[in-house]
Order: sequence, then structure tokens, then C-alpha cells
Amino acid sequence: MFKSILKKGALLTAGVMLLAISSELFADGAIKGNLRIVIGSKSTGGDTYQNSSIVAEALAKKLDINVKVDATGASSAFQALDRAGARGNTIMIFHDQAYLGYLYGKKGYFDIFSKYIIGPSIAINPGNAYLVPKNSPYKTIEDVMDACGKGKRVRVAIQPGGVSEIGYTALKNAISIKYPGKEVNLVAVNTGSQSAKNQLLFDGQADLINGSVQGNEQYTRLPADDQKAMRFVWLTARESTIKQAPAAGMGETTRSQLLKFVNPIAKVPFDSKTDFTFDKEFFFIYNKKLDPKIIAEIDNALSEIYASGEIQKVQKKSFFIPDFMPSKESEKYFKEKMERYKKIINTMR
Amino acid sequence: MELFTNLTYTYFLLIPLGVFIGIFFGAIPGMTATMAVAVCLPLTYSLNLQEGLALLLGLYVGGISGGLVPAILLNIPGTPSSITTTFDGYPMTLKNQGEVALKMAITASLFGGLVSAIILFLFAPLLANFAIKFSYIEKFLIIFLALTVIASLSKNLLFGIFSGVLGILISLIGVYSIDLGGNGEFRLVPDFLQTYLHDGFSLLPVLIGLFGLGTILEEAEKGVKEEPMSKMDKLDNQERFSFKIFKGQFTNLIRSSFIGTFVGMLPGVGGSAASVLAYTQTKNFSKNPEKLGTGAPEGVIASESANNGLTGGALIPLLSLGIPGDSTTAVLIGAFTLQGIQVGPLFINEHLSDWNTIMLALVLANIAMFIIMFYAIKYIAKVITVPKYILYPLIIMMCVVGSYAINYGVMFDVWTLLIFGLFGYLGQKVGIELAPFIIGFILGKSAEIYFVKSLESFGTYTIFFTKSPIAMFLWVLIFLSIAYSIFSAIKNSRNQKLQ
Repeated sequence: MFKSILKKGALLTAGVMLLAISSELFADGAIKGNLRIVIGSKSTGGDTYQNSSIVAEALAKKLDINVKVDATGASSAFQALDRAGARGNTIMIFHDQAYLGYLYGKKGYFDIFSKYIIGPSIAINPGNAYLVPKNSPYKTIEDVMDACGKGKRVRVAIQPGGVSEIGYTALKNAISIKYPGKEVNLVAVNTGSQSAKNQLLFDGQADLINGSVQGNEQYTRLPADDQKAMRFVWLTARESTIKQAPAAGMGETTRSQLLKFVNPIAKVPFDSKTDFTFDKEFFFIYNKKLDPKIIAEIDNALSEIYASGEIQKVQKKSFFIPDFMPSKESEKYFKEKMERYKKIINTMR
Repeated sequence: MELFTNLTYTYFLLIPLGVFIGIFFGAIPGMTATMAVAVCLPLTYSLNLQEGLALLLGLYVGGISGGLVPAILLNIPGTPSSITTTFDGYPMTLKNQGEVALKMAITASLFGGLVSAIILFLFAPLLANFAIKFSYIEKFLIIFLALTVIASLSKNLLFGIFSGVLGILISLIGVYSIDLGGNGEFRLVPDFLQTYLHDGFSLLPVLIGLFGLGTILEEAEKGVKEEPMSKMDKLDNQERFSFKIFKGQFTNLIRSSFIGTFVGMLPGVGGSAASVLAYTQTKNFSKNPEKLGTGAPEGVIASESANNGLTGGALIPLLSLGIPGDSTTAVLIGAFTLQGIQVGPLFINEHLSDWNTIMLALVLANIAMFIIMFYAIKYIAKVITVPKYILYPLIIMMCVVGSYAINYGVMFDVWTLLIFGLFGYLGQKVGIELAPFIIGFILGKSAEIYFVKSLESFGTYTIFFTKSPIAMFLWVLIFLSIAYSIFSAIKNSRNQKLQ
């Protein structure tokens, strides 16, 4: 009796195992097994995780596989990507910091265009913002530049080496164009998390902070006498990007109100002819050895996902601007983008 | 009541389910409440906000509480915030009081959790406004105050302080992270180890290496036959729990719960600092301070009511400012963002029904934690009856798996576990004191960041004394704590001489 049960059990187990192995080996898709997406952020409350989760969920449904997003942080994510081979079970999603970190010489960052393969882009976060206390004498971003031009020291709280710093670099560059030599009056106060930047503003240890529409909008609705009250003075996004946001905007700040903080109303010169704008964009990064079939499979899956139009609704609900570009197009686009910002970063270093 | 009409059966089922899973995560060395919440976060996609938060808050409370089980039974802090639970919990187990210690810790956890939930409910926006008065300077002074415990925990003052400083030094290994406001340069790392030590040694592998593996190596040296727990092969030998043990502990419970809640609401300071501070203050106010560290119930009560007090405290800045108070609430914020809801200074007023469901979930999670753990503990406590030659290999395996999993599969974390296990074992032989060492290691990095950023901002040392009345008050506490430690050391040495 016991032997018979044992025999049947063993046969059943072997059958299930064979089925599992064969379903993995002979699956239609190029990706075999589970897909792990590592992200360049350690936060699950941030925009990178949120965006990646939206895309991961859509990919999981489309490819009928398990997809998991791991918030490992940039350094660990790059290391995980280095360990991933051609099989493609570990891929990465990050934003412009992936190459800005390299341009700023940040440890743990490399030239992603030579070391990795750039995959499709998926969305823009249009909310990269700069804020002052509500009772600040600076009403606009031009007031900030003019103050520096007049010799006043303005302290900007940023997290160095990425999207947070690019706005600071652009401001410094703009001051050097408008008031040559006076850019020294714009000083970076290096700090970490958003809460640390907010705290510096509450304490009066910074005059301007980098933040986001999503994270700081509620603070802009507080009465001016509240120690926590803030005001937007600049959004780095392109006007065309903000115009794609839902008309309701974010919280109680409508799209038309947000447009007041964007170029051309908020002018930050890039050079003598153009103004600076910067869209924070998210894209895939792959191991150099990744099987091209997998790249094609993800490209195709995302093309179909975006063509159906459902994911765009989810992204827009979370205040992201859908921005799908397949791998080849995306790589070219980000390479050019990097070259564009390389100049001011090198000049202002 | 309108609150209940909005809630589904799933909401009420997910709370105990979350607590149950959370307890497992907390109880397995290397797994944490943060990890439990992170792993289950994607599940909230398919749930509504109330249900998602019910599950995650259950995991949070369960995860924090579960840490007391290995801390008391095996001398391995299940989570960093249960480090001080090991100081008296494990000695109690060695004295056949394992079940008493566990039930007492569970009751203290419930008390701390409920006190913090009440404080959160009544004073969240008010306290968030108070929390923002704590700049880098005040936060540095809080950490400094917590560090003063090193002196009072040391068996030998000189060796204890040396161990604490060594812990601080080792915590600084790695890159001085730009993400924390540093310069991004490597410190104290030889070139060939830079790949592995980019972020320094991870806290949990260090913790379970020192306490878990270190203890096992020590036991191995003694030999299986001589093990002190061999007498306890039957649970019948265990001392029975009675609520009478809380007699005279009400002040301790209240003080520690308040400390936990208070430290929890200061973003960045962290849960381990909460239990360390509560433990220090309990020792400072104790009538028998010399008994703390040798199996005193008040030590376990202080530690556990403080680390559960942290849960409500850490939710104060999250829900009132949109700023997470600790690493777990930092993951919790993901649940809001995935649902497209922004937490910030206007959250409570604008989402009153969500706020009420959060409060209800927090209270129910604490009650569920108490019921599940209190009645299951007699079965869990049976772990001590498992022969050590079976138990220890299993613990080592769990420690290795936990260490490997903590950073999503980094082999160096397993090496860290082994290195610090060996260090814990050998270090004690040359006089290194583990408790001061680990407290230095846990608090060292934050102390440095707050100290350096304060100097960067104000450019003068005097600011530490003159910044605000809060800073001055904290200095008074620091001086009193140090003075007490010196007085206590002198008293002990006199007593020893007399004996």
C-alpha cells in the first residue's frame, strides 16, 4: 500500500517536473522562465518603481510570464546587469541619471552606450521641479538668476550626479550667459532624499530646492505663514511634454498653471539662441550579450501594448507622459540627448 | 458607521494574513518587515487602496514583532530593531524563562503599537510640525544620545568604548554616498575590494553574523554535551507567564512606547535607534541597572514596546508630510503611489476615509499580532527543545539564505555573515564587546552624515549648542546619560572591591 502510494507520488512528481521543464524549454517566447527588472532606484515610492511596475505588469500579461521589479539602486542594478548573460532574465529600467551619473563622474556609473545595450523608452516624468519657500523674495526662476547676477548668494539643495543636478548646472550655465562670472553665486547644497531637501528649505538652509510636482504639489497649497509652504518657480520639462499631461494636472494644480513654470514663460538660457529644457525619461538597459531575439521580443511586446492604448491611460493617471520608442530609435535618441547636455556639464564642472 | 460600510471582508481578512506572513519574515534571520512589505507590494496592484494598506500594515506590524522570537530564543535579532531584545531576552531563555520572555515581549509590543496608534490618530499633523524642527543638528544629537548607551552597556568601560568606536569606524567603510550628501569617494576600502564594498557592509548580515553565527561558534566550542539549554529538553521545565510580571513596569512601558513613537517620527533616524534609546533610558531610570543585560524583564519590555511604538511614529511623517519615517514606511509609500495617491501635508484632510481605514488597520494589526503570537508562542517556543545538532545547522542555513536575499542576491553578503560571525567569536575572546560594537555600527553612518551636514551648513561647532532650545535640552540629556554611566561604573567598581 505504502509502496504503491510512494510510486504513484514519485511518478506524479516526475510528470509535473517534466511538464514544468518542457513548458519552459518549448515556450513560444525568447524569454525562458521569470523576468527580473532591476531599477536604478532604491525606493518603491519613487517614480522609477511606479513606472517600471506599470510596464512590468503589462509585459507579464502580454508575454504570459512572471515579471518582478526589484528596487536595488543604481550600483547594484548595474552589477546585476553585469552578471546577467545572454539568457535575459535580468534587465534594467532607469532614467537619464544612467548617463548623467557618468557625465558627472559619479562612482559606479559607466558609459552605458558602450557597456550596455539601450532598450526601448517607456515614459517621461514631467514633474522635475524647483521650488522656493512661499514667502521667498524670488517669484520666478529669472529672479533667482538676477539675484545671483547682482551678487546675492543663492543656495540650491540638490542630490548630486543626476537629474537633480542637471537643473542646477543649467541654471549656473544660464547665469554665466546672462551675467558672466556671477555663476559662482549659485551654490549647491548637496543632500540626499527629498525629505532632506524639504528639511533644508524648512530650516532656511537652502533658498531653492529640487523637487517634483508629484511630491511637492501639496506643499504649494499650504498658507504662506506655514513653515512648510513652498512655491514652484521652474519645471525643467518641455512645454510640449506638459501639454500632453491631463488637463486636471496634479492635485489641485492644473496643467495650465503648470505651464507657467515651463519654458518659454520660465526662461533659462541654454546658449545664445536656445533655452534649456529637460525631460526625465525612462528606458530599458540590457546586458551587452543579451540575445537579440529577447530584445526583439520586448520591443514587439511593448509596441503591441502601446498600440492598444491601455497602458497610456494608466501612465497618465499617475502623471507620466507615455513615450514609447523601440530599442534602435531609443538608443540614437538618448545618445544625442547625452551629447546635448555633455557640453554644459563639462563647462560648469 | 460610515467607516465600516466602505470596508470589505477582504480588508478584514488581509490584516491577520499580513500579520501572519510578517511574523515569519521578522522571525527568520535576515528577513525583515521592509522585505515583507516590498515582496508583497506588487500584490496591492490587484487590490484597492484600503485592502492594499490593510495587507501591508499587517506585514509591517507582524514583521517588526516577529523579530522578538529569534532574539529571545536564539540570541539572533530577527530585525535590527530587536537588537536590544537580545540583551535580556536570551539570558531569560537561558534561565528557563523563554516563554515568559516571549509572552512579555508580545504584550509589550501590543502596548507600544496601540500607544503609537493613539498618538498617530490624535496628534499626527501637530507632531509632524514638531518633527520638522529637528534639523541635522538635533538629529545628530539624538544619535549622540543613543550612542551614550555604549558606556552604560559596557562591561569594561574602556573596552566597551573601544568596541563602539570600532563599530562606528566599520560602518563608514565604503563610498561616502552622494545619495546621502557625501562626496562619492571610497573610504577605508582596499582597491581589490571596491566592487564588493561599494555600499559597505550590509547591516543584517553583520548583525546575524555577530549574534547568530558568533553564538553558534561559541556553543560549538563548548561542545554539545555541555550546552546550558540541555536541561530544558522539556517545556514543562519552563517558568509560567503571568501578567504580574508587568507590576511596576507601567512607567517603563509608557516611556519606551513614547520614545519609540518619537524616534519613529524623525525621518532617517531609524528603528534600531528607537529601541537603543528606550533601553538606555530604562537602564538610567532603573532601580537595579546592574541587572539589565543579565535577563531583566524591564529590558525586554523597553525594547519591544519601543520598536512597536515605532510603527505609528514612522507613519506620522509619512501621512502628514509625505516623508517616510523609516525604511519600511519608505516601501509603504509605494502602495500610495501605485494607487496614484500622493501623501503629503494635506493627505489627512483630503482623504479622511483612507486615513480612518489606515488607523483601523493599524489597531487591528496590533490586536491580530497579539492574538496570533500570544497563543502560538507555546508552539514556537518548542524550538528550544530541538537538539542543537539539528537546530544550529538549520539556523546557519537560514542565516545564509537570509543574508543572500537581503540585497536581492549578493554573494558578498554571505561572506559578510561569515566574516562577522568569526569576528564575533574571536573578538569576544580579546575583549571586544558585541553590544557596543553593533550599536556603533548601526548608528555610526547616520551620526557622520548629520554631523558633517550640520558643519557644512553652519560652518561652526558652536551651532551644536546654540541652534535651538531642543538642541540645548538634548545636551542636558546627553550629559546626564554620560554622568550616570560614569557614576554607575564607579559604583560597580567600588562594589567589586568591597566583595
